[in-house]
Order: sequence, then structure tokens, then C-alpha cells
Amino acid sequence: MTQPFLSIRKLRKAFGAFTAVHDVTLDIPKGEFLTFLGPSGSGKSTTLYAIAGFQDPSSGDVLLEGKSLLAVPSHKRNIGMVFQRYTLFPHLSVAENVAFPLRVRRRPDAEVKKKVADMLALVRLESFAERLPGALSGGQQQRVALARALAYDPPILLMDEPLSALDKKLREEIQAEIRRIHRETGVTILYVTHDQEEALHLSDRIALFKDGRIEQTGTGEDLYLRPATDFVAGFIGNSNFLAAEHLETVGGAATIRLADGSLVSGISANGSFERGQKTRLMIRPEAFRLERNPASAELTVDVVDIAFYGERRRIVARTTTGQEIDIRPTSAAMAAHDATPNRRQVFFDPGAAFLFPV
Amino acid sequence: MRMPAGLGGLLPALTLIGLFFVVPVLALLLRSVTDPAPGLQNYAALLGDGTYMRVFFNTFLVAAVVTIVTVLVAFPVAWMLAIMPPALASVMFGIIILSMWTNLLTRTYAWMVLLQRTGVINRALMAIGVIDQPLPLINNLTGVTIGMVYIMLPFMILPLVGTLRAIDPMTLRAAALCGASPFQAFRRILLPLSLPGIAAGGLMVFVMSLGYFVTPALLGGTSNMMLAEMIAQLIQSLLNWGLGSAAAFILLIVTMALYALQLRLVGARRATGGI
Repeated sequence: MTQPFLSIRKLRKAFGAFTAVHDVTLDIPKGEFLTFLGPSGSGKSTTLYAIAGFQDPSSGDVLLEGKSLLAVPSHKRNIGMVFQRYTLFPHLSVAENVAFPLRVRRRPDAEVKKKVADMLALVRLESFAERLPGALSGGQQQRVALARALAYDPPILLMDEPLSALDKKLREEIQAEIRRIHRETGVTILYVTHDQEEALHLSDRIALFKDGRIEQTGTGEDLYLRPATDFVAGFIGNSNFLAAEHLETVGGAATIRLADGSLVSGISANGSFERGQKTRLMIRPEAFRLERNPASAELTVDVVDIAFYGERRRIVARTTTGQEIDIRPTSAAMAAHDATPNRRQVFFDPGAAFLFPV
Repeated sequence: MRMPAGLGGLLPALTLIGLFFVVPVLALLLRSVTDPAPGLQNYAALLGDGTYMRVFFNTFLVAAVVTIVTVLVAFPVAWMLAIMPPALASVMFGIIILSMWTNLLTRTYAWMVLLQRTGVINRALMAIGVIDQPLPLINNLTGVTIGMVYIMLPFMILPLVGTLRAIDPMTLRAAALCGASPFQAFRRILLPLSLPGIAAGGLMVFVMSLGYFVTPALLGGTSNMMLAEMIAQLIQSLLNWGLGSAAAFILLIVTMALYALQLRLVGARRATGGI
């Protein structure tokens, strides 16, 4: 079969004059872990809610295996969901929370019992079965919520910022848990987060949202190494933007003039630019080197501050035209340059620098 | 402010409660076993007489019916109030509170005007041809129930809204995605979670209904007299203070027993709505 497993077609959601989601189109293959990443108010949760059936889209469609979900009420969509806030039923025990989806489906008792045991084993909370949710920590509650959402083997699991209420250590622990569960169950996961690291760690693919539109869809590597727009470059990882004037582009490699007058060739051009057009050059902090090599371009900077970040150092420097940039050499590479002078050259591979329109 | 140590600081409050609440109840009890002569003959008379027992039974019947109907009417109203925008909910609360502040007699007379044989409701129904005989809406259980439910609604709605507001609406969305139909979500999630509010409001309504006088007297019939009316008759018309006191004391005991039962069933915190 050629039709995608889950398909979002030209989805649009307007609240009065404000359009939260503009014509979002996305195909999701079975078993994929796809993350909607974006700042708050970018339309990622609204899109997820349209899939869950909490909000009717203004136009567009959501298709599961070719069949529209829009006319199907939430409780018949057969979708699992874990929410941002803890939404366990406070009057039911952990086991009864997990059993709830099976009980409303009137499954036989023996089956419910077995499934609940399996699910609690999956999230490693077997010994908490008889507790009430109020007696559990936040992380444990979200694991129960995960078990509840998976109890009826839904083909799709939606997760709406499920870890945002947890502290960092717990977040990482449960991220690992979620990856393991994805691996073990093969369920298709749509995950919403505003945390780029979380998105990069967890997902097969990321759809980056901005102002109700998908800015770029791709693997974490795609977004990091080949950002389609300056927004993507700025949102994923750290980036430096330098003012540059475009001179010419030949076969995707641009030549530009930086503000200090130096010329750089071989830049990855994103889009087509005219001669003399004002552009922005994006360079990742870790793409800067302290050693010259034959292909590298160079930049003269004044070092303002050097901080130790463990495996990397962070150098804050200023270009000769006064623009502040962030440089992150490895601590090992930095060792040879401890007595780095105030004014020095830093180097970068033009192919790892990207040109964007202003 | 520092609290004075020991019970010393509580003395004024204890004196007040003792003087105005404990002493009168004890006086009532004393009267019921001494008037006209020492002994339990007043209680024997009340509990041994079919007429009196019918009044007791009727009192509990009316209070129970009123409580049930009040819960049924109040629940959807409370739910709307709990989920509507706060500004609009404040206006609605204002209207409900305003009705509570309106004089009880005025409201009860208004219901008489509405419910009587030639009243607004009967005439309107006859005019549009739904009925061709006036419905008996007054001087019976129907009249008492309508009038009392109307008066009791705020006492049910207010605690219930508090309980319902504490329920995260996301919990219901979660229930829906788990596959619960709206009815299943109501029965398995919303209803159990709102039970403390229903219990708190229900107890208040039931207890208030047991001792209600004005509305049953005006909207009820002679065949379904309630206890408060009987006590009024015993004391005012028959000047039988002993029997009246005994009836009042029985009512008090039953009320306290009910309260104790509720405490046992739902726990002390919940019975008072968490106050």
C-alpha cells in the first residue's frame, strides 16, 4: 500500500481573526517517532489537538490509513495520549487507571488483569499497582499515564509536552524510557515539545513549527546540519549570524563579503540571491577552529571571555566591526591555545556556513 | 497575633456557644421529659401515634425528594458555572446569591401565584392547549417540592461548583481519548470526583428541608404536613410544650445521626466540603 499511515492534509485552524495553524501538510509512516518542535504559540499543540479530536480544524483533513478522522469523536478515535499535566483519575488506583480504557471497552476481566500487569511491567511500576495517583511522584504519574495510553494498543500515541513539569534528571530518565517503549511496542508517536534537545534525542523526524507553519521537516541531523531557514538554524543548536553582502552564487556555492571587507567563497547558499543583496551568514559555534587548514576561511576577532564548559570551552569574541560571536572549541583543541592572544584569527569551513536572506 | 495559651483564650467563644446553643437544647430536652409530668410519655405519644408518625415519615419523604431533585437540577447548573468563563460565572453567581437574599416569603408567595389552579403556569399551559384541566401544582407534594427546590438550589450549587472547579477538565479529555463515551466519562470520572460536593450540598439541603416551615406551610397540603408545621401547631394552637419539645428533639437526634453517618461514609473533611 502506498498511502501514508497518518496524513495531515492542509490543516488550518483559526480562532476568530487569529490563525493558529496555516495549511499544515505532513505524512507520517507507521512506527515513526515524529516530534512537533517549536516555540509556544507556533501551532504545534493545536495540530496535535486536531488529531486528538479536541479541536475541529477550520479546514483540511486528518487521515488514518486513508480514512478521515474528523467525523470520529475523540472517544472513538482509538488514539492514546499523554498530557502535559498529570491527568490520572485521582480516585482510581494506578492499576484501575491503566485498566480504565479496557474497562470502558468492556474487555473480559482476565484480559484486563493481564494487560494491566504487562503495562505496569513496561513502565516498571508493578509494585505501585494499588497506590492512588496522589501518592506518586510526577515522573511516576507520567509513567502511569504512558501505561494507560498504551493499554489498548492504540496505533498512535500523542504526547503533549509530557516531561515539561519534571526536573532535568527525571526528564532524561523518562526520555530513555520513552525511547525504549517506542522500540519495544513499535507504536507511532507524535510528540510535542518546545525543547530542541528533547526533540533531537527522541525523534526519528522533527517538524519544526513557526507561526502556525512547518518551517522544515527532517531528521535532527537535517535540521542541524542543513537548516532550510535562518529560523531553523537559530532554533536548533546555537548559531552565530554575521552580516554579509552576497556577490555571486555558482552551483550552490556563494561568495560573500563580510562587514570587515573580507571575501569568503564556497558558502552553502540557501535560496537564490542577487548581487549586492544583504544577507546573513550562519556559523555554528563549534564550526569555528583555532587552527588554519587549506580550505578554511578566516575571521579576525578580539577575545572577550573564555569559559570552561567541560568537554568544550566557550569563547565570547567580538569581530572587528563589533559583532559578538560565540565560539566553542573542544577543550582538547583549546589546550594548545591557552595563552591565546587578545586579538587572533579564527577559522571556519565555508561549506559548514549557511547564507540566509535577511 | 499570638494565640493565648490553653483554653483561656477560647473562653468567650465557649461561653457564647454554651449560653446560646447548648443551654437551649438542654432546656428543650428537659421540657420534653418533664412537661406536663416527668417521664418519657411525650416520646411514647409521638412514636406510638399513627398521625404523628405519618408526619415524621412525610417530613423525611419531602426532604429526600427535595434533596434528590435539587441535586439533579443543581448538577448541570454547577457544571456550566464551573466551566464557563470566570467573568460570566461571576455574574451568574451574583444572580443566584441575589435570589438567596430576596425575602423567603416573597419568593414563596410568588410561587403560589405561579402554581395555583388559576395561576400563570396553568393558564399558560391551557392557553397553548397542552392541558385542558388545570394541573394540581399546589397544596401537595409537587408544590412543596417545586418551592423548596427553588429555595435550596443555591445551597447545593455553591459547594458543587467548588468541587467541580477542582476537577481538571483535561482529566475528562483524557477519559475521552481512553475511549470513554460522554456518559461513561460522567459516570466513572466526573460523578465519583464530584461526590464530596454532592454529599456536602445534599446534607445541607436535606437537613434544612427537614426543619423547613414557611414553604411547606404555604405550598403544601394538609395531608402532607411536615414536622415544623406540626411543632408550630402543638405549641401555638395546643400549647403542648412538652410534645412540641419532644418532636423537636427527635428531629435534632435524627439530623445528628445523619450527619454522623455521612462523616462515617465520606470522611470528616469531605462532609463539610473541605472547609
